[in-house]
Amino acid sequence: MSVLGGYRGILRLTRLPLASLRYNGAAIRCLSCNVYKLQEQKEPPTKKRPLSRIPIGGSSSNNSHGEKNISDAIEFTTWKAALLFITLGGGLYFLFSKEKKRLEVEREAEANRGYGKPSVGGPFSLVDFNGNVFTEKNLLGKFSIIYFGFSRCPDICPAELDKLAAWLDGLKSKDIELQPVFITCDPARDSPEILKEYLLEFHPDIIGLTGEYNAVKNACKQYRVYFSTPPNLKPGQDYLVDHSIFFYLMDPEGRFIDVLGRQYDEASGQAKIEEHIDAFVPEAERQKRKDNWYSFLF
Amino acid sequence: MGWFTNRKPIDDQTKPLSKASRKQCWDSRDSFFACLDKIGVENALDPENAAQIQTHCAKQESTFNNDCATSWIKYFKEKRVVDIKRERMIAKLESEGAQRVDLGYVGSAATPPSHRK
Repeated sequence: MSVLGGYRGILRLTRLPLASLRYNGAAIRCLSCNVYKLQEQKEPPTKKRPLSRIPIGGSSSNNSHGEKNISDAIEFTTWKAALLFITLGGGLYFLFSKEKKRLEVEREAEANRGYGKPSVGGPFSLVDFNGNVFTEKNLLGKFSIIYFGFSRCPDICPAELDKLAAWLDGLKSKDIELQPVFITCDPARDSPEILKEYLLEFHPDIIGLTGEYNAVKNACKQYRVYFSTPPNLKPGQDYLVDHSIFFYLMDPEGRFIDVLGRQYDEASGQAKIEEHIDAFVPEAERQKRKDNWYSFLF
Repeated sequence: MGWFTNRKPIDDQTKPLSKASRKQCWDSRDSFFACLDKIGVENALDPENAAQIQTHCAKQESTFNNDCATSWIKYFKEKRVVDIKRERMIAKLESEGAQRVDLGYVGSAATPPSHRK
């Protein structure tokens, strides 16, 4: 068969140089046929190709099917293969990079959750602006974002709450539910009525929490929020409350995910929240993954 | 409380501040500070500048004092000094070829996370 192959290839050399070049190379594989060929045609020895470039069983199958088959095979290795490679490769690249990003965010959230006991968040008991008790249990079942502030805040809290309102509208348009909670650091002045009126101007969804001074102090402590009211205040005197200004993103299991500071604007903050919500994995699922044999993947 | 009768409505601690009143205060502040920029006064709390403010920006100052809560007036004046210093420092560093580094929580405007409001 290979003898025949060599013979045919040389014949074609006159008509179809490109195809025959490849074909000849395949035939050269066995020494005997080469010798045969040289005897028959006195053809100068062709350039030897590395074995890896020669198709396995190529010479014999090409022989049996003839000329047409060869040109088909060549065509396939060019554009169809390229197309297949690009679509498959592109698709896989997209899939893997997306998954990689998701896992990164998940890992970040995992790191923020802390090892052992959570470092941010914990039990508290306050009253919402409708007079209902609001505790850490009310954070369960949905993602929440918590902000600490006071209603007589000059410029930063209003700007931050406007930003929060933009996030809430943006998330709502994508059907993502987020429970916004505002905890006052100034319970002496921020009565439920004042809070309600104040927050309604920013967004109707924001829940305002207040309570006894010690209950508020405890809630702030749980979230590692610092606040200070000036000492020796006269009744009716106007004053400012110094406090930390972070948004605390909490997962549906009431655990801390991340803080969002002032560096986030309307667009980047919303994107960050979406990322975290998308990457959230429930505790039971996380535990199951850890026990699985493929846990090293996560 | 008879001795508090001349108190501004915005200082009423039993009523929440509205968005409109905040906006009004910020606008008055901006026009007052624009006037201070014109006469080159940075620190409005410095008694040395009082006479100059009184001659050139009296009208803007009184609007500012009327529209803003008492605690805010001092806060905004203090903040102005800090903001000017910060901008000057950034401009100086940038002219020396320094580059801004985003430290995440610090924020692009270099505002500390805990900030007096």
